Amino acid sequence: MSWLDIFRKKANKIPEVEHYESLFEVDHAKNTALKELSFVVLDTETTGLDVKKDHVLAFGGVKIIKGRIKVDTSMESLLFSTKQNVSSIKIHEIIQSNDAMPIDDFVKELLPYLGKHIMVAHHAGFDLAMLEKLVKPYGLRKILNPIVDTGDLAIRIEHGVPYDPNRINLENYSLDALCERYNIPIHDRHTAAGDAFLTAQLLLKLLKEAEKRGIKTYGDLMRY
Amino acid sequence: MSNVIVNRVKEFLFRYPPFSFLSDELLESVAKEVELMYFSREEYIFRKGNPANPHFFVLKEGSVYLTEEDSGKMVVKDYCDEGDVFGVMALLGNRPYVLNAYAAEDSLLYAVPVDIFNKILKENSEVSLYFAAGFAAGQVVVRTDLSQSQKARKLFRDANSDHGLSLFLENGKVNFPTDVVSCQQGAKISEAARMMHEKDVGSIVVLDVQEHPVGIITDKDLRNRVVATGLSVDAKVEEIMTSPVMTMHHKSNFPSLYLMMIKHHLHHLVLTEDGTDQSKITGILSDHDVFLSQGNSPAVLIHALMNTWDVEEMKVIRDRAENLLAYYLENEVAIDFIANIISEVNDVIIRRAILLAKKKLDPSYPKAAKVPFCFLSLGSEGRQEQLLRTDLDNALVYEDVEEAERENTKAYFQQLSDEVIKVLLACGFHPCPSKVMANNSAWCNSLSIWESYFNEWVNLPDEESLIKATIFFDFRPVFGNKELAEAMTRHIFKAIDKREVFMSFLANNALLNPPPLGFFRNFIVEKSGEHKDQFDIKLRAMLPLADAARLLILSHRHMGVNNTFKRFEVLAELEPQNAELFREAGKAYEIFLRLRALEGIGSDSSGRYISPNSLGKLQRRMLKNAFSPIRQIQEMLALRFQTDFIDR
Repeated sequence: MSWLDIFRKKANKIPEVEHYESLFEVDHAKNTALKELSFVVLDTETTGLDVKKDHVLAFGGVKIIKGRIKVDTSMESLLFSTKQNVSSIKIHEIIQSNDAMPIDDFVKELLPYLGKHIMVAHHAGFDLAMLEKLVKPYGLRKILNPIVDTGDLAIRIEHGVPYDPNRINLENYSLDALCERYNIPIHDRHTAAGDAFLTAQLLLKLLKEAEKRGIKTYGDLMRY
Repeated sequence: MSNVIVNRVKEFLFRYPPFSFLSDELLESVAKEVELMYFSREEYIFRKGNPANPHFFVLKEGSVYLTEEDSGKMVVKDYCDEGDVFGVMALLGNRPYVLNAYAAEDSLLYAVPVDIFNKILKENSEVSLYFAAGFAAGQVVVRTDLSQSQKARKLFRDANSDHGLSLFLENGKVNFPTDVVSCQQGAKISEAARMMHEKDVGSIVVLDVQEHPVGIITDKDLRNRVVATGLSVDAKVEEIMTSPVMTMHHKSNFPSLYLMMIKHHLHHLVLTEDGTDQSKITGILSDHDVFLSQGNSPAVLIHALMNTWDVEEMKVIRDRAENLLAYYLENEVAIDFIANIISEVNDVIIRRAILLAKKKLDPSYPKAAKVPFCFLSLGSEGRQEQLLRTDLDNALVYEDVEEAERENTKAYFQQLSDEVIKVLLACGFHPCPSKVMANNSAWCNSLSIWESYFNEWVNLPDEESLIKATIFFDFRPVFGNKELAEAMTRHIFKAIDKREVFMSFLANNALLNPPPLGFFRNFIVEKSGEHKDQFDIKLRAMLPLADAARLLILSHRHMGVNNTFKRFEVLAELEPQNAELFREAGKAYEIFLRLRALEGIGSDSSGRYISPNSLGKLQRRMLKNAFSPIRQIQEMLALRFQTDFIDR
């Protein structure tokens, strides 16, 4: 622990955080087959791309349990925001709606939702950082779920490991480009739930490809 | 739950039956429970004998084959493409799967839980009918019941395709009297009746002092409420009038007037200045006026035909009959009724054409004109199955005359036929490309020559004879002496009696065109697994059934039934053990006939060639189901007529 921590305001852990953290006392078994795994595929819409200044406006997610996207596990939340950023309205056409949720309520719903599933997102690092910023005041420093990035997974499948980052045109690994390549009709782009649903369909297809390339277990997937 | 995701699923499902029959609410409840699964090529989704999953599948993308192992070889029983529903065994009583489901391409599936759907099945008759009619893929074990198919088709008819009212709109001018026969309140019944009699009308409107309509009396009221009850004719009109009267604005358009009459079963609709019964009466519309304004009712058309000698006008009337046909087909009017009406219209035209020709020729052939003859329709027209004006097939038979008269008689009938065909062509019928028409000197002959033709075909059943037999055995007398036609039939029976083996040849000929297996994407799938892109409904579906019906009815020596579905009806009675199959075959034929006519009207062609991509999911399924009795009948013919002994 750094001495600076003394000056930091340490948030009290809410019960949901306690419970969430307890889930990770036991890790997933490395030899679990891919089709036995469960994933929570998510996307966030934010006021901008700066993790420090911007914040989450909307969250969308859907789970894949044992190889099946289950529509009844889908979740969609608009977050109550005091700062309305004009540029984000332009991009996402999100305006503060009446069913926006107070952040307190959202966090209490989010943590049990994430559970112990493997968390999946396109460009997952950004969503992860935004969500961590969101949960920090409730006593959770770090989101503990294993993370799979669909962009990285696609590169890994298409180029093998190790690959030369210089030879990869990242434009080919945007969600739009991948959806087109994997024959997923693009709808509802730039709504959190819509993107999460697209990402989930992409993951379903990527996992099949992964299996063909010898990535067969949880351990293979997470490269343990 | 996410509305965006649920809506996306809903949107996909709604495009395909049976989901398209669900209310928004029900569809949403289904969409919420759906799961998406992805299979790569060559993976099995389920295998034969596996216990049924708690869900059935809708193919979202890719293709799935339903297969079965037959002596070590995988045989594809059914092909599924986007939007097809399969694996419904769980829905139909939780039996194990009867086929393998194999992903022929990478396939994305929607799995729909059975629990939620069972409820829907109970509540929504359209959905249950969809499954009862065997529209889901691979429902091969359930005996396809085409009557369910037919029922289903009626329910599933696309509401947008109902041009019933637009037909009226076209000639939406309706003439109705504005000078309405009326009487005042307080008048005696006898006075009202006298006015009706004087003006020769079927109704009278009762007005109050402001001349607003308060009631109406019709012929029927006089009958039912006065004469039948013994009411005094001195009683006041109020006692028997129907009140209040239904009124509409006098400037309403025709469809709304018509709908009002239909909805309320009105024979008379009173029109007023402001549309209520609190304003002055301006006119009255009767169902008779409506009837005449349509101008497309069969009775009106036939009446008009009977009253013209003008060929131009006959063509116009025949064109109108085609509009009527379209309307009937789209509104699911029974096909035998439609076929009868259209045949009758055609027959009237032929009869008029013959009378026209006789008028012209008879003076020059006083003797030949007295020779009994019969004009015959052949082929599909002979079977009363020609809905569209496709090729003409007809012939003429006349009684044998003395040697000395032969030449003159032949010349007369030859000229007569020429004239008749000219008129028919002018009326929009097409000439037969192989010249099977009465103006062909070979097909305009005396009874004895016809008998020699039949002998030849029966005794020497080569390919050409068999083709001729299939056309000429379906003759139907249209004009003239019916006994000549009956004599022809008797002669055919006699010829066959002497040479029973002819039936085997005829059977062999009926087996030349097996029906296809079904459809896959925009292809026809042949039994051998080949694909084709256009479907010849005449050759592959209708002819095999028409041939089979003719053969079987001939084998029973049953006279006078020409129509294919009527033949199947008769056969069902003659062979109770096969009744079910014959009835199915008749229904299948009906389905093909209707589809062909609709296709023909839609594409302004003979309707013979149908591209699979013009068919909806349900139509494809219905066609596919209708192929199955063809296959069964063909198997029966092969066995019964020992066609294996004939070299093909």
